[in-house]
Amino acid sequence: MAKWSRLLGAACLLGVLLTLTACGSGQSADGKVHIEFFQNKPEAKASFDRLVAKFNEENPNIVVTQTNPPDAETVLMTRVVKEDVPDVIGMGATDTYSVLGKSGIFADLTGEPVLDGINPRYMQMLTDLTGQEAINGIPYAANADGIMYNRDIFDKLNLEVPKTWDELMDTAKKIQDAGITPFYLTYKDDWTSNLLFNALAPNIAGIDFLLQRRDDQVSFQDDVMREVAEKTLAVLPYGTNDNFGRTYADGNRAFANGEAAMYIQGTWAIPEIRKANADINLGFFATPTGDDAESNNLVSGVDTLLAVSESTPHREEALKFIGFLLEEENISQYIEEQTAFSAVEGIDQDDPALTELQPYFESGRLVDFADHYIPAAVQLNSLVQEFLQRGDVDAFLKRLDSEWDKVANRRS
Amino acid sequence: MAKRKAAFYWMTVPALLLFFVFHTFPALQGVFYSFTNWNGFAKTYDLVGFKNYYYLFQDDNVGNAYWFTFKFAIVVTIVINVLSLLIAMGLNASIKARNFFRGVYFLPNILSVLIVGYIFNYLFSNVFTVWGQNLGIESLSTNLLGSQGLAWLGVAFVAIWQGIALNTILYLSGLQTIPTQLYEASGLDGANKWQEFWKITFPLIAPFFTINMVLAMKNALMVFDLIVALTNGGPGRATQSISHLIYTGGFEGGEFAYQSANSVIYFIVIAVISIVQIRYLQRRETDM
Amino acid sequence: MKNRTRTNWLAMVLIALGTVFILFPLYMAVTIALKNQNDMLNSIFGLPTNLRFENFARAIEMTNFFQALRNSAIVTVSTVVLTILTNSLVAYAIARNMNKHKFFKGLYFYFISAMFIPFPIIMLPIVKLTASLGMTNLLGLIILHTVYGLAFNVFIYVGYIRSIPIDLEEAATVDGTGTFGTFVRIIFPLMAPINATVGILICLSTYNDFLLPLVIISKQSQYTLPLVQYVFQGQFNTEFNLAFASYLLAMLPMIIVYLFAQKWIINGVTQGAVK
Repeated sequence: MAKWSRLLGAACLLGVLLTLTACGSGQSADGKVHIEFFQNKPEAKASFDRLVAKFNEENPNIVVTQTNPPDAETVLMTRVVKEDVPDVIGMGATDTYSVLGKSGIFADLTGEPVLDGINPRYMQMLTDLTGQEAINGIPYAANADGIMYNRDIFDKLNLEVPKTWDELMDTAKKIQDAGITPFYLTYKDDWTSNLLFNALAPNIAGIDFLLQRRDDQVSFQDDVMREVAEKTLAVLPYGTNDNFGRTYADGNRAFANGEAAMYIQGTWAIPEIRKANADINLGFFATPTGDDAESNNLVSGVDTLLAVSESTPHREEALKFIGFLLEEENISQYIEEQTAFSAVEGIDQDDPALTELQPYFESGRLVDFADHYIPAAVQLNSLVQEFLQRGDVDAFLKRLDSEWDKVANRRS
Repeated sequence: MAKRKAAFYWMTVPALLLFFVFHTFPALQGVFYSFTNWNGFAKTYDLVGFKNYYYLFQDDNVGNAYWFTFKFAIVVTIVINVLSLLIAMGLNASIKARNFFRGVYFLPNILSVLIVGYIFNYLFSNVFTVWGQNLGIESLSTNLLGSQGLAWLGVAFVAIWQGIALNTILYLSGLQTIPTQLYEASGLDGANKWQEFWKITFPLIAPFFTINMVLAMKNALMVFDLIVALTNGGPGRATQSISHLIYTGGFEGGEFAYQSANSVIYFIVIAVISIVQIRYLQRRETDM
Repeated sequence: MKNRTRTNWLAMVLIALGTVFILFPLYMAVTIALKNQNDMLNSIFGLPTNLRFENFARAIEMTNFFQALRNSAIVTVSTVVLTILTNSLVAYAIARNMNKHKFFKGLYFYFISAMFIPFPIIMLPIVKLTASLGMTNLLGLIILHTVYGLAFNVFIYVGYIRSIPIDLEEAATVDGTGTFGTFVRIIFPLMAPINATVGILICLSTYNDFLLPLVIISKQSQYTLPLVQYVFQGQFNTEFNLAFASYLLAMLPMIIVYLFAQKWIINGVTQGAVK
C-alpha cells in the first residue's frame, strides 16, 4: 500500500511537470523557420504588421513575428542579458545601438547585397555613432525633429513660418495674444520633454561639442550650452496651463483637434495625429535655433535601422526579410504610412505636410539628434524634464556634467 | 523508523535544492557581480573591489530613490492603517448589508496593481483636473502626477486606495474577535468612545496592528508596478523607487554590476527594518 | 443592550459614502470602455449614449486577448496546483521534525528568512540564470512562482500542521502505512482549509504579477494579461476607450470569480495573513 501511494504521488507530480513542459516548449514543430522581428516604434506596429503578413505569404517556409514592447530599449537590453537577442532588430540610431554594436551583439553586414542603394550619408551616421568599421545596422527610415504647426490657424492669424529664434518667439506671442495656445507641451513624458533640447543643442553647440565632451575637452557649463538651456526653457510660458501633466497621447489628440497652433514633435507623430483627425491641415518646419536662417540645420536621425543578431541561426532568412523590407514597393508604403524619409536612394517623401523640409534634405543641411551622442545611462530625458520644472539653468548644466562623469567613471 | 526519516528527507531535499538554485544562489551571484564591472552581456569583466559601492554612496540618483521610497512607504503605511482601522470599525458597527460593504471594500485587493495604475493615470489627467478647474482649486486643476514636488502624493493616493482593502479586512477580523460584553462592561463604568477605543479595542487588536504595519510597509517599500503605470519614475526622477531604479538602471546602459551593488545595500536596509519593526511592535503588544 | 442591536445609521452612511470612493474609478473604467470618442468629448462622467461593445471586440482582437488569458490561466492554475501539492509536503516534513532534528529546524528558518529578501535583489541574476537554463517561458514562470512561494507558504502550513494531532499518523504508521501514504491519505485531506487559503493567495498574486513575467518571459505569444496591458499602452495611444475595454477584460476573470466566491476568498486571505 505504502509503495502504491508513493508511486501515485510521484506519478502525479511527474504528470503535472510533463504537461507543463509540453505547453511551455511546444510550437515551432511545424518545420518552418521562425524569425523574430523586434522593433521599437509603437506608431509603426500596424505598418510593419502589414509588411510582415505580406512577407509571410510570399515565403511559406518562413514565419516572421513582430515584437513591439514599450520602453523597447530596456526590454532589448533585458533580452541581450538573457543572450536571447531577437533575430532582426529595428531600432533608432541611439546610444544603446552604439553600445550593443561595440559589444558585438549585431552581425557585421559588410558586403551584403542588401546594402546596395542605401544613402551613404545615413550609412556614415551609423558608423560615426559606433566608431567602428563593421556595418552593424542598415538605415531604413529617417525622421525629423522640429515643430509641427496648424496651417489653418497660421492662415487665420496671417502668420508666416518663423525662420529665426526671435521670429519663433514673436510668432508664439502673437498666437497667444489672439487667445490661442501657441505650443501644446507634453512634458509628462520624459522623452518629449527632450525634443526641443535635441533640436537646439546640435545647431547651437554642435555634434562636435558632444564628441569633444567624450574626451573631456569641453564642459556643459560652457556658454553655448547655457544658450541651449535658456532657449529650452523659453517656450514654457507659451504652453498650456498644464505643461507637465500632459502626455504624448494627450498632445496628439489635442493638436489634431486644433487646440494649439504649434506642437514640438517629430515627423513620426503625424500618422497618430491623422488617426485622431484625418482632415487636419498641418505643416512642419525645422526648429529655428538662431539668428541666421541660412546656417540652421534640420535635426534628422536614423529613426529605424535594421540589424541582425550575431547569434541568430537564421542569418540568411533574416537578411531575406530585410531585403524584402527594402524593396521599393515596401519601403515606399512604409514611409508613406509613417511620414518618414527613405534611407534608400530615389524614394521621395512627397507628403504635403513636409514640403517645408524638402530643401533641407535636398541640400543636405541635416544634423543628428543630440542624445544619440550622450550615454543612455546619463538619462538625459529625465534630466531635461526635471530642469524644465525647476528652471535652474546652472544646476542643470552642472548636473549634466556630473552625471556624464559618473557614467564615464563606472564604465572605465 | 530510518525509512520514515528517509522519506522526510525525500520530501524536503528537492525543494531545498530548487530553492537554493533559484533564490539563494542568484542572491549570492548578485553579491559577486556587485564587485565586478560587468554590464550583463559583455564576454569579459574584471573584479573592481568596492568601486561600485564607493560610487553608489556618492550617487544622488540612488539617494533620491531611497528618499522617495521611504517617504512614500511611511506615509502610505500610516494613512492606510488609520483609514482601514476606521473603515473596519464602521463595518463592525451594527449596519445593514455588512457583507455587501465588506465585499466592496475588499474588491481593490483582487485587481492588478498595474491596471489600477493605468486607470488612475487617466483619472489624474482627465478627470481630477476637470474637478479642480470647476471647483477653482489651483493645485488640482493641473495633473498632480506631472508636478515635480507633488507627484509622489498622487502615487501614494493610488497605493492607499488599493492598500486599504487588505488591511481593512484584517482589522475587521480582529475586531470581530472582541466579545461585545467587554464594551457593555465599560459602558457601565461611564467610559466614553475614545477611552473605550484605547483601553479595550486597540490592545485587543494589537497583533493585527503589527501584521498590518508590516504588510503595508513591505508592499510600499517594494513599489514598482504603480510607478511604471503612473509616472515611470518622473517627472525627472521625482518618483523613482529603488526597485524601479534597479530595473531601469540594471538593464540600461551597462549598469548591471553597479545596480547589483545597489541591490545588496537595499537588502541590508530591508532586513534591518524588518527586524527592528517586528521586534518593536511585538514588544508593544506584550506591554499592553 | 438596545443600543447594540439598533442599526447605527451614522456608521452606515459613512461606510456607504466610502464605497463611492472605492467604486468610482471602476465606474469610470466601465463607462469609458463603453463610450465612443464623441461621448467622451461631450461629457467624461455621463453614461454612454449608446453602448459600444465594439470597443471590447476590437480590444480582444488587437491584444490577442484569448491567448493572453490562456497564458495567465495556465500559469495561475499550474502554480496553484503545484504549490499546494509540493509546498504542503515540504511543510509537513518540517512541521513533524523541526523539534527533533536540527536539519528541519534550520530548513524552516532558511525558508522563512527568504521572506525578507526583496525580489529586485535577485532580479538581475535570475534573468541570466533562467535564460541559461532555457526557462524564459511559461514553465519557468510556474517553477519560479512555486519555488518563491515556499518562503511564505511553509510559514503558514507549518503553523497549521502543528495544530493537527499526531496520534492519527502514529496509528497509521502502526498499520504499516508509509510516510508518503500517511501524508496523502490522512494529513492532506485534513489540510483542506489551509490549502484553500494558500491556493487563493497564490492565485491572486500569480494572476496579477507583473515584474516577474516582465523580466522572465521573452516571447510575446507567452505574455500574461498584465504584461499585455503594458505592451499595448503605446498602441492604444489616443484611443482611451479601447485601452479601458482592454483593462476591463483583463480584470474580468478575477472579478467574476470574486463575485461568486467572495466570502470564501476574504476568509482565505484573512487566515493567511493572521496565521
